[in-house]
Amino acid sequence: MQPVVQFDNVTKSYGKHVAVENLNLSIEAGKFVTLLGPSGCGKSTSLRMLGGFETPNSGRILLGGKDVTRVPPNKRNVNIVFQDYALFPHMSIAKNIAFGLELKGFDNQHIHRRVSELLELVQLQDYAKRLPSELSGGQRQRVALMRALAPDPEVLLLDEPLSALDAKLRQQMQIELKSIQEKTGKTFMFVTHDQEEALTMSDTIVVMNKGRIEQMGDPNTLYGRPGSVFVANFIGETNLLRSTVVGTEGDQAALNWNGVTIKAAQGGLTPKAGDHLYVVLRPEAIHCSAAEPESGNRIKGKIRQRVFKGNHTSLSVEVGDGTMLNALVHPADVSQLNGEEIWVGWKPETTTVIPDRHAHN
Amino acid sequence: MRNMFADAPRTSLTAIYWAFLLYLLLPLTLMMAMSFKDANFVAFPIGDWTLDWYAKVMQDKQFLEACLYSVMIAAASTLAATTLGTWIAMLIVAEGIKGQVIIFALACLPAVVPGMISAISLRIFISTIDMPTGTAAIILGHTVHAVPFVVVMALTRLRSMPGNLVDAARDLGADSIVAFFRVTLPYLGPALVGGMIFCVLLSIDDFVRTFFLGGYRPTLPMLIFAKVQGGMSPEINAMATLVLVVTAAVGLYAEYMTRRARTR
Ligand SMILES: Nc1ncnc2c1ncn2[C@@H]1O[C@H](COP(=O)(O)OP(=O)(O)OP(=O)(O)O)[C@@H](O)[C@H]1O
Ligand SMILES: [Mg+2]
Repeated sequence: MQPVVQFDNVTKSYGKHVAVENLNLSIEAGKFVTLLGPSGCGKSTSLRMLGGFETPNSGRILLGGKDVTRVPPNKRNVNIVFQDYALFPHMSIAKNIAFGLELKGFDNQHIHRRVSELLELVQLQDYAKRLPSELSGGQRQRVALMRALAPDPEVLLLDEPLSALDAKLRQQMQIELKSIQEKTGKTFMFVTHDQEEALTMSDTIVVMNKGRIEQMGDPNTLYGRPGSVFVANFIGETNLLRSTVVGTEGDQAALNWNGVTIKAAQGGLTPKAGDHLYVVLRPEAIHCSAAEPESGNRIKGKIRQRVFKGNHTSLSVEVGDGTMLNALVHPADVSQLNGEEIWVGWKPETTTVIPDRHAHN
Repeated sequence: MRNMFADAPRTSLTAIYWAFLLYLLLPLTLMMAMSFKDANFVAFPIGDWTLDWYAKVMQDKQFLEACLYSVMIAAASTLAATTLGTWIAMLIVAEGIKGQVIIFALACLPAVVPGMISAISLRIFISTIDMPTGTAAIILGHTVHAVPFVVVMALTRLRSMPGNLVDAARDLGADSIVAFFRVTLPYLGPALVGGMIFCVLLSIDDFVRTFFLGGYRPTLPMLIFAKVQGGMSPEINAMATLVLVVTAAVGLYAEYMTRRARTR
């Protein structure tokens, strides 16, 4: 199937500063795609280029197979939900939503029907006549979303639309957004720097760093098999153990970490003895115990800090030469860890490895 | 006793405030009071009161004609100044235009040039281009004078406008003209209404420019000036009182309108 959106080798720079570099990205119709990355990595720039507000220095942008690289925003069938909503302050909610429909030349009856339909979708029927200033943040958010959806765009672009909301409301809106996306079957292209938000909603996450795509995949893959140290650190919490390959056994690699032999799933790599790798060990994969575990990887350590987090306790465990490992422990297990000295254990298949790009061996 | 000295600064401030108010209002009050005096001379004591002077003013064809003329000039120059001023303000905030500081400085110049100088230079200008004195010349002069005030008010409002409102309009299918008329202009609305009313008052009030650029048809200030030269009479007081009340009402209404719009 033909992708709705294609970035074909797109580069955008401001003066000498390259904001987006050789971006190649295809987005399938009906998917919830998230551009995720730290501040300044070029997410908004990419989105604004697709919206028509920035012109790439080179490369092409295709929308539904057509080249729209130089088409002005009002002639593109995409709509943006802005971070601060950008609702027209002098127009009622209904008028705001009708704006795009009027400009498309629909008749009044159709506009009226569509507006009430959309207001109903977010349960704002009773607010149709109010001004944006008379709504709460969450309600404004919903109106902005409906205004952008009203003209039936091929792709809906959302630039950190939830960042102005408080944590509770944000979670609620995440779920609502996802369900609206599923109900309407629209392609959503969502921008955020919040990895949790990305994991919650996306079908596909595109991790960006310094104007480039670092890795792209579904949330499970990105979390379970990060392809680089950057992605491992950016998505979820991670312990990274820099180790040297000793040998391979089936689909597992045997590694030497500070004199301790550990095993890890190879994660698609073909490591040779002597290679340096990072073992990605997620905090929840770690099992802490007072007695030495009988199987799997295990390292002796000392508890340095316990932080109670309600449904779990977060332990900082010092292992080997002073490396700190972060481990999540279930409340029921914490009581058994009275002493300082404990064992940190995990199953080899719960980890993956990533190459150490800076190694010269 | 201690209290009295402790309160001295406050007491004196209050006193100054009241003195200032008195100074401000006394001449106006006197002028108004005299307009109700049933005698031919503007002087105390006021023996009997009457509304005759108002009746006379309202039937004074000269006065009514001057009023109409002033209003017409005000309307025309306000329209021109608002259009021009808004356009200049848009230019100043637009991206990718060079010399915005210079445009701003030039646009504001007429507000700081002394009225006399500006009047003389305008007079010289119109005679250079062979434009006759009269209505068109007056409108031109008033427009030039009013533009800076519109520019400043529109600019203040434009600068507080969220940058992506226009982006949102463009995104939803508006070309730049539609976006201007449906989003930018309504947003500017309150500022423009305030600016327009200010322009009207400036124009009605203007004497120097009108005097230099005008023909034989008198505007309101010119008529009153001519009458005063013929000697004071309560009729002039009545005229002035009417003008004062109407302009004050318009000014207050403008303030109310802009305030209401601003709270949105
Ligand atoms: N108009 C501009 N002029 C100059 N530099 C710009 C402009 N817009 C963006 N940049 C630069 O381009 C880079 C990418 O900006 P962009 O807005 O795409 O970042 P972002 O990923 O959206 O970040 P954030 O999460 O903070 O919104 C940044 O380094 C920024 O400084
Ligand atoms: Mg951004």
